Amino acid sequence: MAAERGTAAEALVGQVVLPGDLLLLPAHYDEDAEGERLRLSAGAAPQGRLLCGPGLRRSGAGLLVTKCGLLRHRPAGGGAYWVDSQQKRYVPVKGDHVIGIVTVKAGDVFRLDVGGSEPASLSYLAFEGATKRNRPNVQVGDLIYGQFVVANKDMEPEMVCIDSSGKSSGMGIIGQDGFLFKVSLGLIRKLLAPKCEIIQELSQLYPFELVLGMNGRIWVKAKTVQQTLIIVNILEACEYMTAEQRKQALAKLSGN
Amino acid sequence: RQPLSPCVAGERLCSTEEATAGSGTYTRHGFIFSSLAGCLERRNEDSELPVVSVVRDSESQLLPNVGAVVTCKVCSINSRFAKVHILYVGSTPLKSTFRGTIRREDIRATEKDKVEVYKSFRPSDIVLAKVISLGDAQSNYLLSTAENELGVVVARSEAGVQMVPISWCEMQCPRTHTKEFRKVARVQPQFLQM
Repeated sequence: MAAERGTAAEALVGQVVLPGDLLLLPAHYDEDAEGERLRLSAGAAPQGRLLCGPGLRRSGAGLLVTKCGLLRHRPAGGGAYWVDSQQKRYVPVKGDHVIGIVTVKAGDVFRLDVGGSEPASLSYLAFEGATKRNRPNVQVGDLIYGQFVVANKDMEPEMVCIDSSGKSSGMGIIGQDGFLFKVSLGLIRKLLAPKCEIIQELSQLYPFELVLGMNGRIWVKAKTVQQTLIIVNILEACEYMTAEQRKQALAKLSGN
Repeated sequence: RQPLSPCVAGERLCSTEEATAGSGTYTRHGFIFSSLAGCLERRNEDSELPVVSVVRDSESQLLPNVGAVVTCKVCSINSRFAKVHILYVGSTPLKSTFRGTIRREDIRATEKDKVEVYKSFRPSDIVLAKVISLGDAQSNYLLSTAENELGVVVARSEAGVQMVPISWCEMQCPRTHTKEFRKVARVQPQFLQM
């Protein structure tokens, strides 16, 4: 493992990296072939604090790639490296807001399907204003928007529909009607970016309600079924359309 | 010692006035009965009655008693408890592993309600624990790590490398330098091999 020499991280920015690739950071280029000599800065960040983002793991002198994708770099604030990867399978992460589907109502706890390896558990007390006498009206098949409080690879994930101060802040049972569909995780991240163009252009088309779950699920509701389906088709197609194609499609629709 | 004679389980050996019951026997209605199928052993003690016990040919399985320190491996964790396999009792390995449970309130001695099982143990950690109860027929051994000398001794990081303890609640991976939370055991110096 130590014998394989890595390549410079800066040379691979914007290129495809595969798991197992070793990236060397600037301070260690002129290291000995054996790597026997210990430097004072060995193991410490080269300049300032270098952020090792998703898809990368620190390994001795450099960074080890753990996901395949494009390597990105941000030089601001000490520098950050991360891997941009396409992913459709969701892995629960603490703090993520997701849309879950209620599958089982077992006593005090609901089991929700969130698209991960295990169903998440949601206690009936984890809603705003819920007490032992005042239970929330949740049925099997309902959609719930909530966030994870416990999510790791060793335990079953747990969700709540209140934030740390006890307010619901938009979470809870998603109302009737509307349409739920699944997209890739990258598109969700793009839609959640501040001032997303897609959402702004769509909102000029028809008024609609939109809930985005980090597990790749989107719920849309517009005034009529036809408008809802049009918005669903545009959002699904946005993954592969360029900005110009999208503007053309929207112009055609608003002309109709 | 008298020559060993075979006996079966349930065989009445002698009365309690002639001898005292040893291992592998039980007393009922003033008589000593054998509870195992094996060889009868009568040992003469100077002051008291001779001790009658039944032994099998193979070594008897060493069972953990209440208060024994055991070495176990964590197999799964939950927000309420951790399930473990007991591998060693003291320093003798067991032929077949027993199952044990460490409840959330038995992990630490102080601040029991603020304990998070995920920050104390992870699956595949090796843990030193003490038996606090044998449990009933269906349940496992109940174990506790609520002492300084008990807790995690060997743990692997997410990168798969064995971690080094840096405090009673943190361990660090030597390759990725990430710190992970564990309830670390302060192993006595005489048990460390340098």
